[in-house]
Amino acid sequence: MTDGLPEAHGVPAIDNFADLPDDQRDPHWYKRAVFYEVLVRSFKDSNGDGTGDLAGLIDKLDYIQWLGVDCIWLPPFYRSPLRDGGYDVSDYTDVLPEFGTIGDFVEFVDAAHARGIRVIIDFVMNHTSDQHAWFQSSRTDPNGPFGDFYVWADTDEAYSDARVIFVDTETSNWTFDPVRKQYFWHRFFNHQPDLNFENPRVQEAVIEALKFWLDLGIDGFRLDAVPYLFEEEGTNCENLPATHEFLKRVRKEVDAQYPDRVMLCEANQWPGDVVEYFGQDGDECQMAFHFPVMPRLFMGVRRESRYPISEIMAQTPAIPDNCQWGIFLRNHDELTLEMVTDEERDYMWGEYAKDPRMKANIGIRRRLAPLLENDQNQLELFTALLMSLPGSPVLYYGDEIGMGDNIWLGDRDGVRTPMQWTPDRNAGFSTSNPGQLFLPVIMDPIYGHQVTSVEAQLASSTSLLHWTRRMIEVRKQNPAFGLGTWEDLGGSNPSVLSFVRVFGDDIVLCVNNLSRFPQPVELDLRRWEGYFPIELQGTVHFPQIGELPYLLTLAGHGFYWFRLSPPEGEL
Amino acid sequence: MTSTPSTAPGEDGVDLEGHIGHERWFAGKGRFWSITAAQTVASLREPTPERSGVRIDIVQVTYDDGETETYQLPLASYAEPATHLAHAFVGEEEDADGRTWYVYDALHDKESTGLWIEGIAADRAGDGFAFHREPTIRELPPGGPSIVVGAEQSNTSLIFGDTVILKVFRKVSSGLNPDIEMHSALAAAGSTHIAAPLGWLEGTWTDPSGNEVTASLAMSQVFLKGATDGWELAQTSVRDLYAEADLHADEVGGDFAGEASRLGAATAEVHLALAEALPTGLLERKELAGVAEGMRSRLDRTAADVPELMPYAAALRGAFDDLAALDEPVAVQRLHGDFHLGQVMRTLDGWKLLDFEGEPARPLAERRGLEPPMKDVAGMLRSFDYAARHLLADHPADGQRAYRATEWADRNREAFLTGYARAGGADPRQQPVLLRAYETDKAVYEVLYEARNRPTWLQIPMAAIHRLAAGEE
Repeated sequence: MTDGLPEAHGVPAIDNFADLPDDQRDPHWYKRAVFYEVLVRSFKDSNGDGTGDLAGLIDKLDYIQWLGVDCIWLPPFYRSPLRDGGYDVSDYTDVLPEFGTIGDFVEFVDAAHARGIRVIIDFVMNHTSDQHAWFQSSRTDPNGPFGDFYVWADTDEAYSDARVIFVDTETSNWTFDPVRKQYFWHRFFNHQPDLNFENPRVQEAVIEALKFWLDLGIDGFRLDAVPYLFEEEGTNCENLPATHEFLKRVRKEVDAQYPDRVMLCEANQWPGDVVEYFGQDGDECQMAFHFPVMPRLFMGVRRESRYPISEIMAQTPAIPDNCQWGIFLRNHDELTLEMVTDEERDYMWGEYAKDPRMKANIGIRRRLAPLLENDQNQLELFTALLMSLPGSPVLYYGDEIGMGDNIWLGDRDGVRTPMQWTPDRNAGFSTSNPGQLFLPVIMDPIYGHQVTSVEAQLASSTSLLHWTRRMIEVRKQNPAFGLGTWEDLGGSNPSVLSFVRVFGDDIVLCVNNLSRFPQPVELDLRRWEGYFPIELQGTVHFPQIGELPYLLTLAGHGFYWFRLSPPEGEL
Repeated sequence: MTSTPSTAPGEDGVDLEGHIGHERWFAGKGRFWSITAAQTVASLREPTPERSGVRIDIVQVTYDDGETETYQLPLASYAEPATHLAHAFVGEEEDADGRTWYVYDALHDKESTGLWIEGIAADRAGDGFAFHREPTIRELPPGGPSIVVGAEQSNTSLIFGDTVILKVFRKVSSGLNPDIEMHSALAAAGSTHIAAPLGWLEGTWTDPSGNEVTASLAMSQVFLKGATDGWELAQTSVRDLYAEADLHADEVGGDFAGEASRLGAATAEVHLALAEALPTGLLERKELAGVAEGMRSRLDRTAADVPELMPYAAALRGAFDDLAALDEPVAVQRLHGDFHLGQVMRTLDGWKLLDFEGEPARPLAERRGLEPPMKDVAGMLRSFDYAARHLLADHPADGQRAYRATEWADRNREAFLTGYARAGGADPRQQPVLLRAYETDKAVYEVLYEARNRPTWLQIPMAAIHRLAAGEE
């Protein structure tokens, strides 16, 4: 096997979907899947030019398969001037030349499918780069075919109730274009004009672009920045009905021709607003990220209190049966704090961004391991929460080995440095001259590639990497994690978060100690009187559940996953 | 220990003395007493050979000094021994037909306890008893099998499933229990800071002196599933602070100030609702002087008992003199009455206040009296102090921890008072005389209690006494 990966043994594939005809595939595969976000640029460089590419990613698919990943999420790899990490797309149907060609992309999708791994890609609907041909045509030829593709106005006064999202760099959502001599609307950077979705031809053009990729075999889209598609005077221009209507239309067109494809929406909103993106009957996006839960996991552990987490889960409405939350700890963006209260935000900043450089926009630009000061117990606790809260976990490349970040790099580049494969030159990421790397590899004494690498962690059976892989395996053996109901058990100890996931006869009990100190907890498990808790990592049988509160003790930042097994004779 | 042989039968023929003498809720342990009257006041279900009967007996206990207390005994009688209830066996009795019945504590019997919840749901009334459903409740939440929980002094509490709690008053007093009265008033006012009351049971009987007595026997509320009591939550924060090497109370992860502030707001909202719904009044100068005199005499008695207090007594008396000398009348109203961190629960939708019974040791009439809301505020502030310092009791000479404890208590005290004032309560910091007097009175009470019961904890109220006395200088 490449990279000295141990033989994968006993990892049950979710299904061998690639071999199945369309009508036999599991249309709800995404509810059980483990996702892995990987940046093409950062993962593996195949041609020694210092930048990761699709061919390099293909080389590393065995690793991703070994880890147990079901679906890769690829952030933008489109042709782009790269002023916003590729989210500024200048051609919706072409690959950035540094990454390869459309042919390389097709080869990548086929190679992933051959390993039982699905692929979803980012799609940025809301805006394009100002270098996109549509915008160039729009600004120079207001009466031409693309004249109405963007939101133009003579003044910068309309939609004044819409907030400015990138408060660090932007002062207004309107920017004057000296060519067309009008203002254009942009919710993000001023080089990213918003498309005008009121124009039916824009809608057609976007749907055409989606179909282009579906025809190449991809399994779905992560739809970037969807709340902002439409504008309406007197509103905050977020989550408008017209936006939902358009997304429903996209879903209908996708479903009609491409069954079992998933639409995952990025709507950094409160859960009550996000559920709108599932549609009334699950006829919009099948998945949405659960943004507010993530900062609260960090806050709960810092406060040693389950309430920040329990409260947001209690405020999370039920979602349609065919829908699923995407849960993540960290991703390529900053740890966003838009969905916390001002008081909570000040607190999070104070706790986790002690150096002001760590702050970016309304968030914190750090990777998981540095956020947790590289504490293995906390890394395991957070990963266990990620894998057991209701939703599909989305891992971020490098977090499985506890990679660090580089807060002296600009914007959010600090969390996008090269994947650390080996302790060798350029961390095994590239054979280029180190000076040629698109971003320097992490070299500090704790997280540097000399210490933290896939190779080193493969060699140690107690590493975070092996641990993460085992937990993914355990998760897959218990459908309750992906498909089950969620119930918070509460309890008298405020530092212990206990919950039950139930799917049919698969009953999983998760008990998490958010405190750094050992804690006892008494749980009311009378509903399962007579059952035996079986610990999932080691299949250790715990004492039978009786009528009295069930007593457990946990080490600091310890956790348990149990399956509740019915008494003999009731199987 | 009874003054009569422990085999003496009650009126029923069951050895009730032997039974209640061992119960946790019986207040007379260590005294000489006997049962001087026993009667069945309510039959909730007639016994048959197939099904247990359920009744409520009331017994009068008389002590050798003549004091009497009344206790409630819900009993289940079975035609055959019920082995699964062996732990709740009370005795055997014979009925008029010579048939033997096996009698158990009905509150431990899942086959019996449902009668209370069904009774409330149906507003059931019968000879000697009446269930009442709260007017705010249309339908009770679905219950479930009951389980006896908690180790309370004067009550037995049952939880049905995980939705309903039933509190059965073991020691009963004539009149409407203040806990029922206050919860009903708050529910009617729409307060969200309580566990919603569902209903209650009252019984009526003729006592041995020939007076007709009506008394509250039980009350039911929504069970606050999965909630944490305030004391536990505060301890989590205090432990976190103690474990930090150099961070201050406002810097540590486990900061409690947000919770304290929300608790202050919840307290103020409950006070405002009570003032709205129940009687209020004003303490004029003469009555204030009476209150101050009561506090002063408690101080004098305590100082005589606890020598540690004596050096501070003169300075503390100043706090009560100031109270007596207040020019403005003081607003009074119904209160929680025994307010501390153990009486509040943190739930997923905020803080809830529990147990509006007042201090159980005080007579009912006093517990229903009107007092300044400052009394509750002072109680909670003293509780913050206990939360901060009780872990110090095991580390007597740890200056670093003592410093941290003070820091924690100060920070959360301020947060509580700020939350209280923001939610519309009169800002206690604008009434320093009243605040100091009530805090001092509470601390003096604690000094006596700790000196008698937990001498190693005496340092907790003494630290406050030190501070309160210094405030005078």
